[in-house]
Amino acid sequence: MAPEDTCTAEPYRAYGAELKETRPYSPCRAACPAHTDVEAYVGLIAQGKYTEAFEVITSVNPIASVCSMICHHPCEQSCRRCGVDEPLAVRHLKRFAIEKSKDYRRAKRKLVKKTKGKSVGIIGSGPSGLTAARDLADLGYSVTLYEKHPVLGGMLAAAIPPYRLPREVLKEDIDDVISKGVEVKTNFEIGRDAKLDDLAKKHDAVLVAIGLSQSRSLNIPGVDGPGVLLAIPYLEDVAFGRKPDLGKSVLVIGGGNVAMDVARSARRLGVEKVEMVCLENEQEIPAWKWEVDEAVEEAIKINYRWGPKAVVRENGKVVGLEVTKVLSVFDANKRFAPTFDTNTTTVLKAETIIITIGQMSNLAFLKDSPVKVDERGRVEWNPATQMSSAKNVFVAGEVVTGPGSAIAAVANGRRAALAMHLYIQGETIEGRLPAQEKEKIAQMPSEVVEKISKQPRMKIKHLAPEVRVKTMDHFEMGYSEAEALEEAGRCRGCGGGAVVDQKKCMACLTCMRVCPYGAPVVTSVSEIRPEYCQACGLCAPECPAQAISMVSYDVREIRNTLPTIIGKVDADRQEPVIAALMCTHHAKVIGVPNNVKAIPVHCTSRIDILDMLKAFESGADGVAIIRCGSGTCKYRDIEPRVNARVKRVQDLLGMLKIESNRLEILSATSDNGGNPYSAICADFSERVKKLGLRARK
Amino acid sequence: MIVGSQKPIEEIWNMVKDFKKVLVFGCNTCVAICHAGGEKEAETIAALIRMKASQEGKQMTVNHLGVMRHCEPEYFEPVIDEVKKYDLVLSTACGVGVNFLSDRTGTVPVYPGINTSFYGAVEAPGVFKELCAGCGDCIVHMTGGICPVARCAKTLMNGPCGGTNKGKCEISKDVDCAWYLIVERMTKLGTLDKLSAIIPPRNWSTARDGGPRRISMEHIREFEEKEAAKTETAGGKR
Ligand SMILES: Cc1cc2nc3c(=O)[nH]c(=O)nc-3n(C[C@H](O)[C@H](O)[C@H](O)COP(=O)(O)OP(=O)(O)OC[C@H]3O[C@@H](n4cnc5c(N)ncnc54)[C@H](O)[C@@H]3O)c2cc1C
Ligand code: SF4
Ligand code: SF4
Ligand code: SF4
Ligand code: SF4
Repeated sequence: MAPEDTCTAEPYRAYGAELKETRPYSPCRAACPAHTDVEAYVGLIAQGKYTEAFEVITSVNPIASVCSMICHHPCEQSCRRCGVDEPLAVRHLKRFAIEKSKDYRRAKRKLVKKTKGKSVGIIGSGPSGLTAARDLADLGYSVTLYEKHPVLGGMLAAAIPPYRLPREVLKEDIDDVISKGVEVKTNFEIGRDAKLDDLAKKHDAVLVAIGLSQSRSLNIPGVDGPGVLLAIPYLEDVAFGRKPDLGKSVLVIGGGNVAMDVARSARRLGVEKVEMVCLENEQEIPAWKWEVDEAVEEAIKINYRWGPKAVVRENGKVVGLEVTKVLSVFDANKRFAPTFDTNTTTVLKAETIIITIGQMSNLAFLKDSPVKVDERGRVEWNPATQMSSAKNVFVAGEVVTGPGSAIAAVANGRRAALAMHLYIQGETIEGRLPAQEKEKIAQMPSEVVEKISKQPRMKIKHLAPEVRVKTMDHFEMGYSEAEALEEAGRCRGCGGGAVVDQKKCMACLTCMRVCPYGAPVVTSVSEIRPEYCQACGLCAPECPAQAISMVSYDVREIRNTLPTIIGKVDADRQEPVIAALMCTHHAKVIGVPNNVKAIPVHCTSRIDILDMLKAFESGADGVAIIRCGSGTCKYRDIEPRVNARVKRVQDLLGMLKIESNRLEILSATSDNGGNPYSAICADFSERVKKLGLRARK
Repeated sequence: MIVGSQKPIEEIWNMVKDFKKVLVFGCNTCVAICHAGGEKEAETIAALIRMKASQEGKQMTVNHLGVMRHCEPEYFEPVIDEVKKYDLVLSTACGVGVNFLSDRTGTVPVYPGINTSFYGAVEAPGVFKELCAGCGDCIVHMTGGICPVARCAKTLMNGPCGGTNKGKCEISKDVDCAWYLIVERMTKLGTLDKLSAIIPPRNWSTARDGGPRRISMEHIREFEEKEAAKTETAGGKR
């Protein structure tokens, strides 16, 4: 377990964080509503730095564990690797890092001091409410969360079925938030147990984050009565372990993701025959493709292009749904405007019908309050300030944004928290909330794509359909460490690449000549084009003016930390001190001999001649540069440059009368199943031992 | 540009070994382009000196720094106070920079970390070639754009010597004969007939032989002086 003092109150800042903010985002980061720095944390995972990755993720997202299970991952959809082969498995890598950080995060939980002397009340504990609660607690406010359900989490707790989101995962996130000293009032419904006005008086600011917790129904004959259920109450039953009686067959009306949850959970409740019916065809269906595929795997039949006409009952009991053929769903302007062939109808048989056609909020408690609701039943708000029409009442999440994703609700909750903070501090809000759309780097030009070797995405394993439908248990398996390292190694580090200090560059053309991807363009100074740059780092150690830095790492880190890593060299040592700078891109360093100081690097391309010299200067008897196993380098043209650097240092060592073979470049042994580093380190150590230990005066 | 090459560490060590605080000071223009004395190489040399000092059991502080150019004061003025904190500055600029800086560091000596070699061009990455000798009276319009002063081993002005050998100079088979190149080039340009004109003996007083050279652009200097006077009378300080 991590010791207490590793906890930092400061949010983790990846190297170059300030610089990064001034640069276009990686597309994955831009696509994430919360702008999670995917490039940074995937890079940290690739280096085995899992808790640092955890910090990057949770700095913007307090329900990261949840998202690691259920996020629809827009980051992946926009990943630049799509142009090469397949997107990074970002969500799965997130899950891996978070699972690896379990002890760390638990040890880290601690109360935040209430320094502001002000209080806020938050109504609703879904993603937006939880996020605002954490951010405001971190800022030093006393926070009270009011939740009508017996548990926190909003739809995460009350609607998303446990086979997709295990509740112990949700609990980790909630415990993080509560541990900051957030006061929790569950079974507390505003409108029933207190009035909004009371809260607005009690607190300096109130946040309405009540989501969309009511299902919409259909106005068709036969809909009222037993055997017809609404999605949310049904899912609440599932979520809270109450077994609803569904009979032998279920028909789900709707084709969205919620409908998938409804149908797939019905299968898990033991119903053999589960069907769905939707207006759309296979291309138009709004549910994610993977949801559809998994549902079909689970023997759920989807009836496309039928519209509900009437519930058919015999003796009051539901026997089916009469449906009409759909001709089209959208009009020429892609607006929802279904047309029907009223002559073609049929009856889909079922004992239970569950209506899943959308949700709305219950805004009854706003009646007679200063918070205005428009004629279409929506809360009036100003997206630029997150404020409702009432002075100290703010709004966040789906109640105002409409249906979306958990991570979008998180992002909106963050904005609202900042707005409330500004408001309470008496500052203007308008113009101060971060822009939601961020500039992002372009997709990779085709001449770059051609230079990137294909490497398929690591498969994500699921329990077999016939096994998983038998329980409500989580059905998706996490990555092993080896799989995660391999997958993280596929990331191209977009947006984390080279930047030229234009005050230092003297347009020598070196970077342009060195770069394997044609990223730098040198005119009066060099300009490195981010959409071309692969962040390999080859150029920075070659620049004679030291004008190049990297957004994603400190180019001086190795030489700055080497003296500490090597430590004090014992004059009476028996074994040589070896510094091994090794590419650990998709392998973790384990079990190198004791006298070997392992310095993991992302790629040998990043090792500077100054790093090699620093190792000797710090007292190493031998220095090994270890590249990854043959054919595994994810960059190109690295080897000759690194060899040339090694040769140069060997020459310089010669000038100092240090045997040049105290420095060697070696290759990790790949694929022998064992540790790729230990044997070659031990061999090298033996060779250095024969040369003798370096004496120091 | 000016091309230089690093001095061997042994030579550098002999220069610096008696000093306690040494600054290796790089110049980020000409000598950086030829990878001899930019900030990067300054840091490399600093590391080598530290390693040598530790081998020799000497206690010394060796740091490095770099600025864009050592031959214009504006570039190093912002760091000059820092520079003066050292016992010795090992400049890795060309000789121009070493001289120029040493006029401005008071009692702190400035020593050369590199050998200033010639005026050259980047023939290929990492290959630098001498093409001009700075003689002060350019005549390459008469020689097809190829300088016999710099590129002929004997600085011959009217055709090759007897040592020319299949396009190579007698001093080395790796050195092109400048006059062979001149003839080839002028044939290509169709100006070979110009070569029949005799180039008279040169007046070397425009070159190094005439003593140290200085060029003063009066129109620029006077203007600058007037501007300076203006701001001073206005009570301002530039
Ligand atoms: C079945 C289902 C599956 C989903 N699957 C996914 C998915 O896979 N991935 C994804 O990203 N998103 C998914 N979502 C969407 C996601 O759950 C929502 O985007 C998110 O929960 C919205 O957060 P919120 O904070 O706006 O509101 P909610 O999560 O709806 O939270 C609002 C909370 O306010 C409480 N509340 C309401 N009124 C009151 C009151 N008067 N007093 C006190 N408390 C009150 C409610 O009980 C609720 O707990 C799914 C949604 C559903 C319904
Ligand atoms: S390759 Fe990595 S950094 Fe680039 S878009 Fe994909 S996940 Fe993001
Ligand atoms: S290598 Fe450095 S100095 Fe040369 S052009 Fe590139 S950035 Fe500029
Ligand atoms: S060498 Fe690598 S880091 Fe440098 S510009 Fe090219 S791709 Fe980017
Ligand atoms: S000091 Fe020498 S090397 Fe530096 S810019 Fe001036 S001429 Fe070039």
